[in-house]
Amino acid sequence: MLAGFLIAIPLLAAILIGIAPSRMARWLGLLGGLATLGWGIVFASMYPFWSEIPQEGANLAGYWPVNDSWAIIPLVGLELQLGVNSVSLLLVLLTCLFAPLVVLASFTAITERVKEFYIWLMIMNASVIGVFIARDIITFYTAFEVSLIPAFFLVAIYGGPDRREASFKFFIYTLVGSIVMLAGFVYLVMSFADSVGGWLPSTNGGVNVWDIDALTTYAREFLTPGEQAWVLLALMLGFAVKVPLWPLHTWLPLAHNQAPTAGSVNFAAVILKLGAYGVFRFVIPMVPEAVVEFAPYIAGLAIIGIIYTSLVCWAQTDMKKLIAYSSIAHMGFCMIGLFALNPIGAQGGILYMITHGLSSGALFLCIGMMYERHHVKEIERIGGLMKSMPVWSFFVVLFTFVSVGLPGLAGFVSEFLCLLGTFVGSTESNGGYPGVLGPWFGIIAGVGLSLGAIYMLYLVGKVVFGEEKIPEHDHSHDTHPLPRDLNFREIITLVPIAIICFFIGLYPTPILEAIEPAAEHMLSAYPEIVEAASKTASAEAMPTTPEAFRMTLTD
Amino acid sequence: MLGLPATNLLALKAAAGDEIPGAVTAIPEAARDENLAWAGLILLLPALSAILCGLYAALKVKNRLPGWTTVIALAGSFVVVCFLYAQHEPGQPTVIHLFDWINFFWGDGAFQSVRANFALYVDDLSIFWMLFVTGLGTCIAFYATEYMDEDRGKGYSRFFGAMSIFLLAMCSLVLGDNLVMLYLGWEGVGLASYLLISYYYTRQSAIDAGKKAFIMNRIGDLGLAIGIWLIWYNFGTLEYDALFQALNAYLPVADAGKLPGTEIGQPQLGWSAYLIPWFLMVGAFGKSAQFPLMTWLPDAMEGPTPVSALIHAATMVTAGIYLIARTYPIFWLEMEAGGYALATVGWVGGFTALLAATIALKQYDMKRVLAYSTLSQLGYMFMGLGVVQTFGACFHVYTHAFFKALLFLCSGAIMHGLAGQLDVRKIAGLRLAKGWKIVTWCMFIGGLWLAAFPFTAGFFSKDEILAQAFVQKGPGFRALGWIGIITAGLTAYYTFRVWFRVFGGRTLHIEPGPEHHGDPSSFHPHPPGWRIKAVLIVLTIGCFAAISTGYWGIGHWIKGMVTHSSAAWGLPLHWHEGDIPFFGGDPHFTMYFVSGTFGLIGLAIAAYFHLFNRKAAERLDERFKQHFITNLLPRTLEKKWYLDEIYNALVRIPTYLSAKFLYLFDRIVIDGILVGGIARIPVLVARIFQPLQSGALQGYATTMAGGVALIAVWMIWVFLQKGGG
Amino acid sequence: MTHFTALLASNDPPTLAELVNPRSIQICLVFSALLFVIGLFGFMTRRNMIVMFLCTELMFQGVALAMVAFGRMHLDVSGQVFVIFILTVAAAEAALALGLVVLLYRRRATLDVGAWSELKEC
Repeated sequence: MLAGFLIAIPLLAAILIGIAPSRMARWLGLLGGLATLGWGIVFASMYPFWSEIPQEGANLAGYWPVNDSWAIIPLVGLELQLGVNSVSLLLVLLTCLFAPLVVLASFTAITERVKEFYIWLMIMNASVIGVFIARDIITFYTAFEVSLIPAFFLVAIYGGPDRREASFKFFIYTLVGSIVMLAGFVYLVMSFADSVGGWLPSTNGGVNVWDIDALTTYAREFLTPGEQAWVLLALMLGFAVKVPLWPLHTWLPLAHNQAPTAGSVNFAAVILKLGAYGVFRFVIPMVPEAVVEFAPYIAGLAIIGIIYTSLVCWAQTDMKKLIAYSSIAHMGFCMIGLFALNPIGAQGGILYMITHGLSSGALFLCIGMMYERHHVKEIERIGGLMKSMPVWSFFVVLFTFVSVGLPGLAGFVSEFLCLLGTFVGSTESNGGYPGVLGPWFGIIAGVGLSLGAIYMLYLVGKVVFGEEKIPEHDHSHDTHPLPRDLNFREIITLVPIAIICFFIGLYPTPILEAIEPAAEHMLSAYPEIVEAASKTASAEAMPTTPEAFRMTLTD
Repeated sequence: MLGLPATNLLALKAAAGDEIPGAVTAIPEAARDENLAWAGLILLLPALSAILCGLYAALKVKNRLPGWTTVIALAGSFVVVCFLYAQHEPGQPTVIHLFDWINFFWGDGAFQSVRANFALYVDDLSIFWMLFVTGLGTCIAFYATEYMDEDRGKGYSRFFGAMSIFLLAMCSLVLGDNLVMLYLGWEGVGLASYLLISYYYTRQSAIDAGKKAFIMNRIGDLGLAIGIWLIWYNFGTLEYDALFQALNAYLPVADAGKLPGTEIGQPQLGWSAYLIPWFLMVGAFGKSAQFPLMTWLPDAMEGPTPVSALIHAATMVTAGIYLIARTYPIFWLEMEAGGYALATVGWVGGFTALLAATIALKQYDMKRVLAYSTLSQLGYMFMGLGVVQTFGACFHVYTHAFFKALLFLCSGAIMHGLAGQLDVRKIAGLRLAKGWKIVTWCMFIGGLWLAAFPFTAGFFSKDEILAQAFVQKGPGFRALGWIGIITAGLTAYYTFRVWFRVFGGRTLHIEPGPEHHGDPSSFHPHPPGWRIKAVLIVLTIGCFAAISTGYWGIGHWIKGMVTHSSAAWGLPLHWHEGDIPFFGGDPHFTMYFVSGTFGLIGLAIAAYFHLFNRKAAERLDERFKQHFITNLLPRTLEKKWYLDEIYNALVRIPTYLSAKFLYLFDRIVIDGILVGGIARIPVLVARIFQPLQSGALQGYATTMAGGVALIAVWMIWVFLQKGGG
Repeated sequence: MTHFTALLASNDPPTLAELVNPRSIQICLVFSALLFVIGLFGFMTRRNMIVMFLCTELMFQGVALAMVAFGRMHLDVSGQVFVIFILTVAAAEAALALGLVVLLYRRRATLDVGAWSELKEC
């Protein structure tokens, strides 16, 4: 019940907005967002396993509430199961944080079809939270797909001039990916049900075949390496589109660019996290042998993405596109952290989901605020805003440095841990957690750090600093006149993110401690499998001379 | 090879004050003292001041409150550092834990934790550094309260906020007890430097300079980051204390003249451990602006002059020296294993020293000359590290901090009073102007110190390094020493070229700078106020005091500080009878005469051309300009060896072009051909069945009926196949 | 029909199911098939929209009749339930369709279905 409210509250708000007159829509939206955030915080404060998880029983990953479930299709034993562990709770909190903020950011920006807009926002919150708190595979998949619908409409109705193409491309691209992922899910559940003897708990000895954790345990233990490889490919395709991993990224710049501010923020802050969360929840714990085999390739793609998109960012002429491309690079760091397969990288990767959400969400908010005033997104057409918008400039510079990964701010801790984890995650490493990446991966990905500084400072140098250059714009059609610099509402929108960025940057310990058991749980199969894999590799490579080869034969 | 027996620090302490024998010493385990948590104030005060300055900016404070807040906070930091020094026991490092930052573990053994907390590693080296960083920081902030006066209400709060951030970052860089906190400070000073260089944000050159500084530093930072990762990779820790304890294990082997890791029973150092110094070096070169990452520093002079003095001369740019001195054991082990990391450091330093000095010869902007001289002096410090003279390097850092800050602040006073005029060709005889006495003679003192005039502090500290180049055995170190000596001559020349041009001459002649609007003839320089003068005097006194701390006076204070720290792994070799002599004796003695002579020659040439016979200088210039060939050298020097242009052509333009190319590739190949191509498939399939969409209603009905009939036929066929019926 | 002969062969007293005459059901099915085919043929050959609509109704009734017949065969009411649904839907649909026809007529003043081929693709 408790977890169910996380979904129910935004949905309720959506209904309320629907029946109330449209001049109240934004206030009700704000209320809904605040209620979601409020309940999220209350719920998080009730979560009992923040710092320690009981080491007995099946609940090693610390899921809570344990028995929040409703039967949906009793015929196949399907129950709606909700619950969070520390990682999903942190992501839920991230979503909840942005719920009221995007409403605040849309107060004056959205003037047409207002009601519908806030309804879609609320549905988006509900579905994304649904993904994070799902404990059964059907709820997960349903919520994963449902989140496409509000995103589609937010882009298609309220977007920029190319909104049609952007929304269709985004929708179809991600849908194709997740249909392949669905095939993987179906295969998993079918083979699980086959092996335990049926769907129903009454016939298969009390096993819930839809439960993600049960499935994980099954897949890890009983799938053959060949099956694991196929499942990995199917799942990764779905998640990689969402992350997005190079070269499946081209929907993102377009969608981010065309979406209204609230949409871009939600894309950057939460939608992209669905993919990374999927990797954390499914891919890595479920199919370890295949992951060990494929991790270098996936990490390779991530690293290509980091370097490639960092360079592409520099060639951008549109601010939103620049930030969008930078998101691809950043999520690449997150991916290599997760696929480093050691606690350092895992902690970094998981934390990266949150910090990236904060920094690029905030940057999109900032750009949206500027856009509302000057109706320009082209970097070349505007400049020197420091003079007329000092407060805005302060926030832009701050979030730029969060995004660049300046130590002391949120981005650094996660980025550093991701790269350190990748760097030391080699088979020779003494880390207790041998991995399949290694120094070279770390070094090449690290080049992204320098490139990141180039394109972000290019943006800041052009837009914030320099000679003042503001394009002529006829403001007489603006329905809501805005002051030259940020108003109170907008400052209130940005301040919480800034505070959290500082907090995570200077005192990440509570979050790292909370993530740690979940990361450990995710990796519990790994050291052995990696060692076994490296042993077979070295055994194959061992006979170097004819004598040695003969000796292996006589053995 | 160092064959002397290892002496521990207790023995060292007993010998404090005497000549300390060259020795490799184990670094004692750090004491952990919770009672010293008040030392956290060193960091907290600048942080508070930064926050307050932010508040002032938000509240649009128009008075000098931000300035005074910063000065008081920095002075407080300095006092706390002094207290810390007072209770510090030489040779005994202390770790003061403030609060957890990154701290997690997944096992109890080595390599099973990542620990990087906000904790202070207090030893002689860090205290030594902190003393001059906070001390000079206070002085220069005080100076800036007057210097930035005209910006009150505009950028005043921003300026002092960034200054506070700088001090905060610098303190955590120096005091941090782990490499990640060093990295925090490292990037933090980079941020402050970026913000302060682009302080005049409407000037395109200032923004470009800031960007360049940050990005070039980032390239160096990558090296530092890789070095840090490699340290964890090899030693499983990021904390100095644990790192040094792990390194101590290799000490006896190395001391016995054997390669670390070759002795049975000793833990093996992996090959990657020997890569650590090379990567750390890149970081140090980036921050301290050594070749090839040097071109950002001269451009950084776009910032306000107090910033140039504090950040880009006295403190931040010495962070690279601090890094290498701090991690000296790793460098030293690499050298003992037959590697050339330290030699490379020395050679890069020497090369940069010479290169920058040659450029400084032909610059006309006073601050640029000083900037290139900073590069050159930093080169000396790296040379000192390279020739295993860490004490000399640190000594030079210390003296340089004083005289270079003094020089910058003097040129700042000139710039302030002359409406931004810095061109040495457009000022003459400034000593004759009213109210400029103090600036004139302070700058003279600073110039003497920089030119290493005999018996000044700069003279002693530089000679320590140069002499050691002739004592230490390494690849071409004698040639390196000669490069240093020649550079010393050049330094004396270009320093006094500026001073004679600006202050010398019989008549006062000033063309006002770009900030003066109106008739040039109505322009009068306004002399500096009491705060600027006071700071100049204090720094001049500091320069004099540096002589005593360095040499004759209070017993090798700096030597004591350096040798009681991790940098003590690399105490210099000593010259003995029978070693190769330098002009017939111990280089440490004869060097005084050699380098002094070169310095005096440089000074004399400067005096001839720029004071007594300026006509001759102009004639010489004309002579050079007549032919393309002869003009080549002066032109190249004036254009800074075309380094910026070369980098632009080799790095920036290819990167930018590849960015543009990749963007095209992204749109055309990935999005167009791959994604668009796959999306085209359903369309093509649809084309096949398109004729069915005829528009005639009955056509649809027929198709449907036909389909149903087909299904029916198929079902009946299956039914019959199965033998039903 | 196999289960039916098996039932007849058993010794148990005949149930209601056994009393259903398979012949009558056959007749019903044949009749429903005829209705359906007539409707289909009419739909495909006539061009008047109202007649075409009537033909679809004929097909509906053919299907409904088959349902009732099968329901009787299995002694199951669900066939009849379906038919009631079909009738309801058909009624609603008739109203809608006739309305559409009227609207279409107003636009082109003809009932010829050939007048409308807007969905043509090539």
